[in-house]
Amino acid sequence: MGGVLSTNAFWTIWLFIHLILAVGLLGALTHQAMAVALPARQPAGGIVTRFRAVRASGYATAVCVLWVVTFLIGSYIYTSYRIYIRIPLEEGHYFKTAGFFDFKEHVTTLGLLLLPAYWYLWKNADDPAYDNARKGVTLVLAVMCWFLFIVGHVLNNTRGFGS
Amino acid sequence: MSQSTPNYTPTSSTQPSAVAAPPASSLAASRKFGTFALTFSICSPVVYCAVVFLNWPLVTFWPATDRLVWGYEGARAGEGPNMLWYGWTLTAILIAAALGILAVLLPERITRKIPLALVWILPILAIPFVVYSLMPWWRLAFR
Repeated sequence: MGGVLSTNAFWTIWLFIHLILAVGLLGALTHQAMAVALPARQPAGGIVTRFRAVRASGYATAVCVLWVVTFLIGSYIYTSYRIYIRIPLEEGHYFKTAGFFDFKEHVTTLGLLLLPAYWYLWKNADDPAYDNARKGVTLVLAVMCWFLFIVGHVLNNTRGFGS
Repeated sequence: MSQSTPNYTPTSSTQPSAVAAPPASSLAASRKFGTFALTFSICSPVVYCAVVFLNWPLVTFWPATDRLVWGYEGARAGEGPNMLWYGWTLTAILIAAALGILAVLLPERITRKIPLALVWILPILAIPFVVYSLMPWWRLAFR
């Protein structure tokens, strides 16, 4: 910070970077989940078909990198959250919001711990023995990512940017 | 042997469906890494829930004073709140990695028997425990 940025601006920038990475992760995982759950049987139809018709294996490494980087930045922001956001939330009796944030932290870790298998299963996408596991783990990660994004969004609306 | 890229368009019934093309990266081609990665991810939801239940953080962080200590440290006057989640995550990673390494050392005929479906079933089963572990919040919210 060193006088160049205010404390508020500093944390807001980190929160914004966290948000942008989360949007990228959400997009990649949603594309991939749609491609494995409802694979397109013919090329280039409407927008929904094109959304499903991506080459899903190409997203695996990007998803892992985005999850880890978003996780690390979120972990960094978490220190500030614990002091400047959670205490006022408790004082304001926003117990559900604070509870859901703790829920989010656990789900984030569970997702992080799935990444080695997820990456391996996608890098061996031609092996039919892995088809069901790959599909299952991708859908679980996509649902987790949507949950994390929505909870983060609601929390930010409660007390986020500029707080 | 020719290499083929992953292809999700429907294949002809005359193509050999069971033949897997070797993956491009050497890490992904390694069966040992596969055993490690799958064991790590299959064990980790159970390990994480156990670590949270037993409260075994590798470290405790005090954000108000920027102090990091090994293991668990309970509330201290004048230090603000403590953070255990970093420690829980690190403990779970270390234990799951140790189990992954152990699985690599086992004969392949044993590790092959691990049902792959557990990799997505166990994280789902972990969710009810996680919700239960947050009961103090829900009690405060719904009292």
